[in-house]
Amino acid sequence: MSVTPGESRIEVKGPGRAGRLNRLRALRLRWVDNSRYFPQMLLVPVLVFFVIWNIVPLFWMLGMSFYRYSIITGTPPRFLLFGNYADLFANIAVWLALSKTFIFVLGAVVSETVLGLLLGFLFWGSTTMPGRRLALTLLFTPMILTPAATGTFFRLIYEPTFGVAPHLVHLLFGANINFLGDKAWAMFSVLLVDIWMWTPFMILITLAALGSVPRAELEAAEVDGLPWLKRMTHVILPHAKFIVMLGILLRTIDAFKVMELIYQLTRGGPGSTTEVVGLMLFRRAFEGFDMGWSSALAVVTLLIAIAFTSVYLFILNLSREEKGVA
Amino acid sequence: MRREVRRTIYHLVLWLIALLFFMPVLWIVLAAFKTKGDLLAVPVKWAFVPTLDNFADLVRRHDFFSSLENSFLISAAAVVVALAVAFLAAYCFSRFKPGATNFLMFILLSIRMVPASAAVVPIFLMYTALGWKDTFLGVMLFYAMFSIPFSVWILKGFIDGISPRYDETGLVNGGSRLHVMFRVVLPQVRPGLIAAFIFNLIFVWNEFLFNFIIGGKVTTMVPVSLVTGSFAQGGVDWEFVASLASVYLVPPVVAIYFFQKYLLVGMTFGTVRGEV
Repeated sequence: MSVTPGESRIEVKGPGRAGRLNRLRALRLRWVDNSRYFPQMLLVPVLVFFVIWNIVPLFWMLGMSFYRYSIITGTPPRFLLFGNYADLFANIAVWLALSKTFIFVLGAVVSETVLGLLLGFLFWGSTTMPGRRLALTLLFTPMILTPAATGTFFRLIYEPTFGVAPHLVHLLFGANINFLGDKAWAMFSVLLVDIWMWTPFMILITLAALGSVPRAELEAAEVDGLPWLKRMTHVILPHAKFIVMLGILLRTIDAFKVMELIYQLTRGGPGSTTEVVGLMLFRRAFEGFDMGWSSALAVVTLLIAIAFTSVYLFILNLSREEKGVA
Repeated sequence: MRREVRRTIYHLVLWLIALLFFMPVLWIVLAAFKTKGDLLAVPVKWAFVPTLDNFADLVRRHDFFSSLENSFLISAAAVVVALAVAFLAAYCFSRFKPGATNFLMFILLSIRMVPASAAVVPIFLMYTALGWKDTFLGVMLFYAMFSIPFSVWILKGFIDGISPRYDETGLVNGGSRLHVMFRVVLPQVRPGLIAAFIFNLIFVWNEFLFNFIIGGKVTTMVPVSLVTGSFAQGGVDWEFVASLASVYLVPPVVAIYFFQKYLLVGMTFGTVRGEV
């Protein structure tokens, strides 16, 4: 917008309260509204927040990652240069944690996407459903609860002695499974909770993607008697693909970030079966108090997250160019 | 007639799926109404006489009201600060389009993508060094930062949807720029403000990790009480955990019931628009 406003002026009245207020207002107009730097002024608060809570911690972390620094021993930080990074690279536990994270991400995102797409299509025609709003609220509840809480719920459900899940499994299959305590089952049980939490999100995304397909095109396809598969690939997919892709990427990024859920469910155990990168980082920092090493690991996870995020932004840009709107 | 039946079956199936997803939540809420004996019964007891004792005990705990109060105060204050800051920035990005707009918008979005476990280390070091740990202001401002990116994205989208003609008319008629911003544009982005407000409130209400690390006695919020309660020494106090969890989940569930049409925009940080 290129509007140069006519300078807003007001009369400055004499003494008294009204006069003071008017003088204040005149000052405001002179220094804020009519300032050449008005647009920049609007950005100042957000930049202040950004610098204090992002730039400063970021450099703090980068700096700390070159030191050996433990906050329990009380010894001053010792400069290592890339010592921490070399240790990360050579540390088998880090690679194990990374591979567990990728197994988790893959397992979670694939199952959530498949289930979400299927159920999303199923819910597509639900507009006339009685009590739809309540049903959708129930359906979407898992994803708006904090993992710290849902982890707690499932600790009760998975509880080996009085939990309902082992009880049901015993009734149905006659097997006794310790969901969170058994090395063979722990990862699966954690994944199951994540799938329960985030499949509704993919349903939501699928519904939105289907909603972005123009009605007219769907009706035209109906009239032309286009076969089901062709309708999918030629009518629905071109419109729906961007939103679905954004949903999948967002899930990938969030699944990579997983930490609270596993912390609450298993604390990484049994052994280190479910110790994903986020959890390893947290435990090294706040149970081992090894700040230098954890900062280095934090830098590495940050880089991975940035890689995912740039793909997200790339797709977001593509979808905007396609539509020509924000 | 056959179509009617098929439709009914279809709706029943959808309802069943929705209920299935709600079952684990329902289970913890039911647990809150059980006595200790019923809760820990082996094998699982399906029928029980509901009791309100757990809630009575919950209310009597010294940390219950304080964490509830902290949760409400901190999230409300943080979101209000964030919205004020975000509205200024979003207006600037939408109307003046400074050269760095796209870059800054993307930087803001990428803040939301940072793994919390990575960000919590430097924030902890900074807060310890500056002595901001466990202060209302320190925690509240952190959450304001936490809420800003999403608010800017969502508000910019809504301001973009309002024609600049309104601004021009206001300016030509002698309105000052702040007048145009707050009296002409702001009232028209009310849906955006509501969506941003509700979802930021849910996000802060839900936040656990940072509150656990940079919070303390004075700033403990509900999720932290929940987690620390569920790792109590000498066995978990499940009556407490279940009743606190039932109280905790009321605001988010009520919010998405009433603001369902903003759910999509809320869950995708304002990057995907549309209604469900």
